Amino acid sequence: MASRNGVDRRDDDEVCPVCKSSRYLNPNMRFLINPECYHKMCESCVDRIFSSGPSSCPVAGCRKTLRKNRFRAQTFEDIGVEREVDIRRRVMHILNRREDEFDSKRNYDDFLEQREEIIANLVSRIDVAKTEAQLQAYASENMDSIRANQALEEEEASTFQARVTKEQEEARQRRQAERDRLDAERREMQAGREDFLSRLASGSSADAGKIAREGHKVLLKKSSARRSEEDRIRQKQAALRGSETKRTGTTLSSVEKSGDSGLIKGLRKIKTPEPEKPYDPFMGYVPEKRDYYTLKQSYPSGYLDRIRNDPQAQAGGYDLREYYSRTLLEAFAGLGVFVEEEVTRRDVSQAAATEGAAVAVEE
Amino acid sequence: MIEDDIYRTSSQFRLWSYTEASLRSLREKTNAIASERVRAALRRAKEAHQSTTSANGTPQTGSDGEGKKMDDKEIDCLTPEEELAFVRFYCEKTLELGETYKPALPTMVRATAIQYLKRFYLTNSPMTYHPKSIMACALFLATKTDNYYMSLRQFAEGIPGKKPTTQEEVIGPEFLLMQGLRFTFDVRHPFRGLEGGIMELQAIAEGQGQPGPHLTHQTPQQLQQKLLAISPGPVRASSISDRIGRAHGTTREILKTAAQMTDAYFLYTPSQIWLSALLLADRPLAEFYLDTKLGGPLTSTDIKPDPSDLQNPLYDLRTKLLRVLTDCSALLQAYQPLSSDPGQMADLQRIAKKHHHCLNPEKKLAPKRTPAGTEASPAPASESETERLAKKRKLEAEKARSSQDIFGPELVTERTKQ
Repeated sequence: MASRNGVDRRDDDEVCPVCKSSRYLNPNMRFLINPECYHKMCESCVDRIFSSGPSSCPVAGCRKTLRKNRFRAQTFEDIGVEREVDIRRRVMHILNRREDEFDSKRNYDDFLEQREEIIANLVSRIDVAKTEAQLQAYASENMDSIRANQALEEEEASTFQARVTKEQEEARQRRQAERDRLDAERREMQAGREDFLSRLASGSSADAGKIAREGHKVLLKKSSARRSEEDRIRQKQAALRGSETKRTGTTLSSVEKSGDSGLIKGLRKIKTPEPEKPYDPFMGYVPEKRDYYTLKQSYPSGYLDRIRNDPQAQAGGYDLREYYSRTLLEAFAGLGVFVEEEVTRRDVSQAAATEGAAVAVEE
Repeated sequence: MIEDDIYRTSSQFRLWSYTEASLRSLREKTNAIASERVRAALRRAKEAHQSTTSANGTPQTGSDGEGKKMDDKEIDCLTPEEELAFVRFYCEKTLELGETYKPALPTMVRATAIQYLKRFYLTNSPMTYHPKSIMACALFLATKTDNYYMSLRQFAEGIPGKKPTTQEEVIGPEFLLMQGLRFTFDVRHPFRGLEGGIMELQAIAEGQGQPGPHLTHQTPQQLQQKLLAISPGPVRASSISDRIGRAHGTTREILKTAAQMTDAYFLYTPSQIWLSALLLADRPLAEFYLDTKLGGPLTSTDIKPDPSDLQNPLYDLRTKLLRVLTDCSALLQAYQPLSSDPGQMADLQRIAKKHHHCLNPEKKLAPKRTPAGTEASPAPASESETERLAKKRKLEAEKARSSQDIFGPELVTERTKQ
């Protein structure tokens, strides 16, 4: 709107810096800018220069390569403001952490400050290359969280939009109802009066006073009845509205809850559920894993070799490896179990039970 | 260490592992309870005797109290130490008994029987149940639990003695024994572990050794070199595998005797026992083997090849383990067979004599196969026959009532009631 006003206001003396044509000659002239260099030029120049592909900026001294699709209408009158808003939008788009993702308010504030610093750097062209590199690195690293936060923001914006629309709609309905009510009242009043006049006209002069009184009473009664009716309806509506707001309130909060679980409880981190691990039937125990020895396929042993070559022993499915694994397991099972201390620890809890059993057996 | 966790699930660790202090206190407690019972039983026997004599002739109410006091002084019960020596004697006897069979019972069966005896007499006193009767039963039970089949007849016939042992005598105390064992028949022996260790040492000697999972930087060749370079053992051996063979034999002997007769099974784990025995048999060899498993010689910590994080827990374990192994081998070394020590034998004879006097007269195991502790009391005199019969009838009725219980009558109440 501001730009429209501005364009309207400075109607005549605006001149395209590229083709030098003025609004005076071409009243439909629109100015476009490109966020690469923010040089202003008219629509026809953009068409003329950039239709056949990217080209360098026609403004003298600016060698930025521009593309047609990036050209757009100017929003703010001041190009500096326009540029800052663009940069801000871009940075906010990347650094879109939310307050509830931080452990403490202090951390969030630090983050905000850092973000403002980055924006200020970019706007005032300090350390642009370094800052850009930082931003890029951050963006590529945190692609997921950025996207998630964007989705959240969009959701919030859309719910907000929906609420605003709804409120407007409700206000419109209320106005309509009020107007209807006033109309009906007026019509009724009119009808009552007409009835009263007709009755006066048809009746005798004697009971004119009585009729007048009655008519007045009827009108009063009607209006009071209507008023009470209205009151009732209003109360009902209020109650309804109250419950509705309550409901919408809860739904809203639940939406927020589903989005970021921490808002209500004060948790500061959005916990994405860990990816489900493959099912482990042994709860971390690896059946063949051993800590003291590595089992080999065979061991040199005079009398075991005989068994290995003996078809009689093999026929039943006997496998010497069973023997190997068993003997080696028994060789080390309990090597690191220090009975003295472990039993002492255990006895503290089990003393009663063990002694009870011992006494029972002895008795 | 996953192997340790496997061992922790065994009943040997859960029920039959003790600290030295708890073992001692348990034995003292058993002894105290048993002595109390023996005294009470002997007093009752005496009273019964006196009542029968008084019923016959002159009643002497006044002298009863004095007599009781004198009895208490006279009855000299075994001390826990004496009990232990007494049981140990029968453990050695079990070993001998196993050898009388043709073919001799496997070492594992005999060792299991000995452990059954030892476990049983942790919570029962030899004053209550004579080890002689329990011993045969334990051996027979061990043939069954260790899967070495032998018929009861064959077993009973194999027991030497002046008069032949009946099958009932062997099988009689079986339930009692099982109860004393808390129905845990699994005994983890160090024998099979020793075979595994020797097997691996032989593999290393032939250059086929595999380093442990936590010390993978060693190659089989390095291991072989190190094994060949260890300091000479106690006996000159022609080759390294000969040396391992000798160490194997010596260790096995220690495990067969010293490990069985001492409290090693209660205090240490089987793999600690066999490694301590190996330490006694051939110290450099055992230390080398531990090094291959837990890394780095302990004495020279400064030349550890890589002080990585991985080695630290193993290092702690190693330090602790060395202490435990030293304790255990000291225990094993202190063992002296009874037969080779006349002093101990003489002491044992004294204990046996004493035991004869303080054996609980009410706990004679009947040669009858009953599901629960047997109650047939000895018949000291025929005079009080009627009284005794009445008592017996009462007991019988009680037993009938309680035998409806699926696990048999409650032992405790029955015995105390008598």
